[in-house]
Amino acid sequence: MSGTVTAMTDEKTSRTMLRQTRWRWAWASVVWAVAWLLMLDFETRIGLAQVAITLVLASALAAIWLPLVSSLVTTAIAVLAFDWFLVQPKHTFSVDMTEDVLLLVEILALSWVVSALLARGRVLAGRASRSARHADQMRELGDALREEEDPLKRGEALRDALTDVLGQEVKLLLLSSSKTTEGKDSGIARFGDPSSEELAGIWHCIRRGKAFGAGTGCENALPALFLPLRGGDEEAFGAVSIQVGQSKLPDDGSVLQAQALCDQVGQLLHRAETQREADAAQAHAHGQAVRNALLAAISHDYRTPLAAIMGAASSLRDVGKKLAPEQRERLADTIVSETRQLSRLTDNTLQLVRLDAPGVKLHVDWESADELAGTAIGRARKHDPDRRLKVWSEPGLPLVRCDAVLFSQMLENLVDNALKYSNAPAPVELTVRKQRGYIVFAVRDRGPGVEPAWREKIFDVFQRGDWRSSSTNSAAQRGAGVGLAVCRAIARAHGGELRLRQRAHGGSSFECWLPEEEAPAVEGDNGAMSGARR
Amino acid sequence: MTLRVLLVEDDRELSRTLRDAITAEGYEVFTAASLSEGFALLRGLGAGVAQGCAPVDMVLLDLGLPDGDGEQLLAEFRKKHAVPLIITSARESDGQKVRLLDAGADDYLVKPFSIRELLARMRVGLRHRGTSITPAVTQYSLGALSIDLGTRDVVLGGNEVHLTPTEFNLLARLVRSAGQVVTHRQLLMDVWGAEFTEHTHYLRLYMAQLRGKLEENPADPQLLMTEPGVGYRIVEQHVGG
Repeated sequence: MSGTVTAMTDEKTSRTMLRQTRWRWAWASVVWAVAWLLMLDFETRIGLAQVAITLVLASALAAIWLPLVSSLVTTAIAVLAFDWFLVQPKHTFSVDMTEDVLLLVEILALSWVVSALLARGRVLAGRASRSARHADQMRELGDALREEEDPLKRGEALRDALTDVLGQEVKLLLLSSSKTTEGKDSGIARFGDPSSEELAGIWHCIRRGKAFGAGTGCENALPALFLPLRGGDEEAFGAVSIQVGQSKLPDDGSVLQAQALCDQVGQLLHRAETQREADAAQAHAHGQAVRNALLAAISHDYRTPLAAIMGAASSLRDVGKKLAPEQRERLADTIVSETRQLSRLTDNTLQLVRLDAPGVKLHVDWESADELAGTAIGRARKHDPDRRLKVWSEPGLPLVRCDAVLFSQMLENLVDNALKYSNAPAPVELTVRKQRGYIVFAVRDRGPGVEPAWREKIFDVFQRGDWRSSSTNSAAQRGAGVGLAVCRAIARAHGGELRLRQRAHGGSSFECWLPEEEAPAVEGDNGAMSGARR
Repeated sequence: MTLRVLLVEDDRELSRTLRDAITAEGYEVFTAASLSEGFALLRGLGAGVAQGCAPVDMVLLDLGLPDGDGEQLLAEFRKKHAVPLIITSARESDGQKVRLLDAGADDYLVKPFSIRELLARMRVGLRHRGTSITPAVTQYSLGALSIDLGTRDVVLGGNEVHLTPTEFNLLARLVRSAGQVVTHRQLLMDVWGAEFTEHTHYLRLYMAQLRGKLEENPADPQLLMTEPGVGYRIVEQHVGG
């Protein structure tokens, strides 16, 4: 298939060239014909000198269209004809007068010099136009490459540019990394559907990092030429296979230009790979730093309940017999409640790490806002039966789409937090309402509130400090760092947001704003019911 | 006769603590530290009982065991016996919790748990022995509420409560497993049918209706409890009530 394409391209090119040659000869013939008519006319009316000048002019004009050798030959023939027809004695090549001999030699010399100069000028102009075209091709390829996001998809632009330069179809293979080896599927892009022999040559070229095949001086006998896409020292990010026709090799200039285009893409892929490696190294270092900071923050939070448990348990073991039954019971209660604290801390830490990982999947379902709120309050009441806990929800709330376990964890953390930082008998309330297209879960306390400087920072797991308005940092009031950080992470994982608002008459309100979604309808046995309850 | 409990737990400290506490409550406890030991104990105990009888009255099963997963024992055990089985595990994956409950576990306790909680769940489990054959619970009463599954009467504070057929079926399904969590899937399957097992929003709406009729404050339920991500549970009635 590709062979046919190459042959067709060759045929087309040679036909174009033939047509151009014919036109050139036609122009030259017209010039010479007109010149001879004028010369014959001038000879009878003006004199030989004028005729000689006309001949020089005609030779110069014809040299514009004719190649150098043809131009030199036609000029020589014209000078001989001039001698035969116009110089005395006519119809012989012999010349009577010495000045005529001199004239003939001068005409020939002058015409040849002019032809040579014109030919030289043509070559220089051709070179200049070719370099300009090469520069344009490089620029066009550069533009095409910049437009393409994925480096591997840039092969199409390179293939077009190479087809333009070489005048024939090429096949190529691009690698996203110079370390990619044969046999892998990812990170490789093929263009032009190369055959297995061509692929073998391409891979050989990639491994060598150098051009080989016809016309390169290495494996000259091959019917193809292979050029690497060089990105760095001996590093190839792919290679091109160029079929070489039986007739001819692509000229050196085109091959050099093709190699330059290949290197342009090779360097681009090299830069992309270097950038990727740098990004990965930076992400790794950042991840490491975050992990270390997280571990430091969390281990600090773990020590306090562990110290309380150790104190209570060792007291029971070592001096338990000397303690009153109520004292022993209090110590046992301490162990139970601190263990619960540790358990909560562990859950929160695990959840925080899980939510931080890329591609985290939530188990979302349609949940009742009432149920979520009621459950959180119910659990808090179980652990802290003496405190006043109130729950209120706006009637007719729609179902919310969330991960029930995560969401409950968030609400429990917020209620736990509110209980810690406010004192009895002020109640802790959990309210749910609809506001501006959001379902708002608010956990409100009447504690001392949060210092303005800390209102944003308290959601950051790494921030430590006394963030309450009055310093009431008792043993029970600690470990908000991980708890609030995971709450915000949970809210955001649901497409919502967790905010802190200061209440008008003192205290804080932690509010989770969750976007409202339309719940599916339900067919009931007491008629159709909408997505809203009641 | 003393009730026999098989405790499969590989952590020696925890196993000893649980055994002492459960023994103190009057149960006879057999401990196994691995899956193979658990299977061996069941075989050995099975040889001493009459044909068709369960080797133990209850199983407490840890999941992460040195020679395999407790799930294997659950699957084998459920093929032969209907005695209560409670999973105790440190893995808090709700997908797994639901799967194990659907596979026949009666309850699931996430470590760390208190002894009081474990003993309460054991009592509930034992009360439901044989639920798969004949419902052990047909009468339910808690506070001012009384439910009779046979006559389909629901009375709250001396007044009859009118429930739609679906509401009653949902309530009845929970009452039959009073004190135990019933998964969303089980509820949807038993009340609506197999093709509705993914329609959890049906449950949300009908539970809200039931709470509206039976709870004093539906937003702060005391009777129909939610286990987030798992299912629902009606609180255990007073013993002898």
